[in-house]
Amino acid sequence: MDELYPEIVIAGCGNMLFGDDGYGPEVVGRLKEYTLPDNVKAVDVGLGGPHFCFTMLDNGVTRKLIIIDIVDFGAAPGTLTRLGVEDLPPGSYRDAHSWDLTEPLNRLKDIVDIMVIGCQPKNVPTSDFEIGISKEVEDAIPLTIQVVLKEIGVDYGNS
Amino acid sequence: MDEAITLSKVVEVSPTTRHEGHSKLVLKVNDDGIIERGDWISITPVRGVEKLAIGKTMEQVPKIASRVCGICPIAHTLAAIEAMEASIGCEIPEDAYLLRLILQCANRLHSHALHDILVLPDMYLPGTDTKINPFTPEEPVRSVAKRIQTLRMVGQTIGEIAGGEAVHPSNPRVGGMYTNITPRARAKILDLAKMALPLAREQMEFMIAIFRNYQKRDWAEVGGKEIPIPKDLGYHNQGYMAVDPVYGSSSLDENPRWFPERWTEVRPWDWYMGEEEITLDDPSYPVGGTTKAGTKAWPQMEACTGVPLYDGQPVEVGPRARLVTYKNYDEKGTIGQNIAREMEFMDAVYKIIEAADALNCSGPVIPDVIPQGDGSIGWAANEAPRGCDTHLAKVRNGKVEYFSMLVPTTWNFPTCSRALEGAPWQLAEIIVRGYDPCVSCATHMIVIDEDRRLIAEKLLE
Repeated sequence: MDELYPEIVIAGCGNMLFGDDGYGPEVVGRLKEYTLPDNVKAVDVGLGGPHFCFTMLDNGVTRKLIIIDIVDFGAAPGTLTRLGVEDLPPGSYRDAHSWDLTEPLNRLKDIVDIMVIGCQPKNVPTSDFEIGISKEVEDAIPLTIQVVLKEIGVDYGNS
Repeated sequence: MDEAITLSKVVEVSPTTRHEGHSKLVLKVNDDGIIERGDWISITPVRGVEKLAIGKTMEQVPKIASRVCGICPIAHTLAAIEAMEASIGCEIPEDAYLLRLILQCANRLHSHALHDILVLPDMYLPGTDTKINPFTPEEPVRSVAKRIQTLRMVGQTIGEIAGGEAVHPSNPRVGGMYTNITPRARAKILDLAKMALPLAREQMEFMIAIFRNYQKRDWAEVGGKEIPIPKDLGYHNQGYMAVDPVYGSSSLDENPRWFPERWTEVRPWDWYMGEEEITLDDPSYPVGGTTKAGTKAWPQMEACTGVPLYDGQPVEVGPRARLVTYKNYDEKGTIGQNIAREMEFMDAVYKIIEAADALNCSGPVIPDVIPQGDGSIGWAANEAPRGCDTHLAKVRNGKVEYFSMLVPTTWNFPTCSRALEGAPWQLAEIIVRGYDPCVSCATHMIVIDEDRRLIAEKLLE
């Protein structure tokens, strides 16, 4: 049977209880409707990316990690960007357990090719739960999926 | 007495590290730095899952509950589903229960192994004054780290097979499970668990040796200073609450083991300290020093969770509570608590093997009829890795009318606060980490410095 985490891992990060923060898991949910190659796994990691996934990728098998997340980079809501580990501010993916040694992505970057596909959110409530992704972010999901499919070398004739 | 109080100094550690979520410590200490009163509080804002759940279907609410925390999605999924089942009066088929039991134990295996990585940096290599860096490439720690990773991989993989997904389980549903697993998947679970068994034993024995070594030490280094370790580090005189050594209990049980009538709650306002000025700071405390003197702290206002009481007092939940309640365990203090957690490793693996052996892969995993509920109250208590996680629900015609979550660390906040008394303040976080705390999560968003030229260079059109 397959490895827990194969050669290529697509991790959707965020919390669907906070509006547009549900973008990453939503993208992964839709990617799962496609038949992905055997060496690819799309995972809805929710808020557990660092401790359920990123710290498990030193398995000698995983070569590529694509993180899908919301990023506040001052653009119009729904705008997409592509970032590398070097672009991330310190602490971005500190393990939720706040390991004070180094961040999991920095420890991983020499053995795994890491890329973040980020979407500028419109609405991320800070105190109360609110379920639902804004129209702007929703409209960015098809393009996100095209970018991911291209990145993993899948041609669905739609890119 | 008044004189003693005026002599106290106040120190604040914020945020506490190497656990989930945001919390802080406000500590009143005497001239020797010994804690006279400690308040450990959650500073993650309250969000009102209760309100959000009302009117949703009984299938939706467990999915919502599983998102409240990034590290306990399995416990919250199971507790919420079983609270729904308790309300509607739905018994699940035996094979569905076995799959849930496998999922539960796989979660515990992963979580306890992860906790080992979090506590190791506080501990010493026996016979040395060197603290353990779990990421060092040097032996003997490297082999330990590899073993921990293998145990985590086994836990997550088995969880994925039984639960449907590696992180947020998709297979459990109200009434049982969506699908049974294939005989081939069952064989894989058994292979993995049998591979993990000797590793779990070695890991338990290694960690217990490390904890015993710490217990024998006179001091621990914190921020460049040698801090004396009291023999009663983390002792408290509170009670324990556990409902099962492994799985849980619900109001459907013939003999339920959690008692709602023994549970009361007080507001943080009535429990924690009033406004205090920080009068002691230490810039050398890891990481980045304590809060600067002159700052104000106001625990009763800042605490974001209520204070649940059982029989009118705070209680401890978690591995030691389970072992005290069901296995005659009696070792107090932080070291006793950490050792109790290690002692659960083997049972987690044995239970997986027993359940997988008993599982009939062609048995039904949902009942023929799933009642839709008449608004009766039901509760389910799940023994999550870090303690008893109780959810309460009322379901009528398939819709949720009432939902509440009593999560483990909420019980442990006031209990651990008492356990801090008598310890040097520099060791307070060691006591906190013994509880393997999980303070509710929030969101994840990367915030890029606006001056950076990312927009122009990295935009995807």
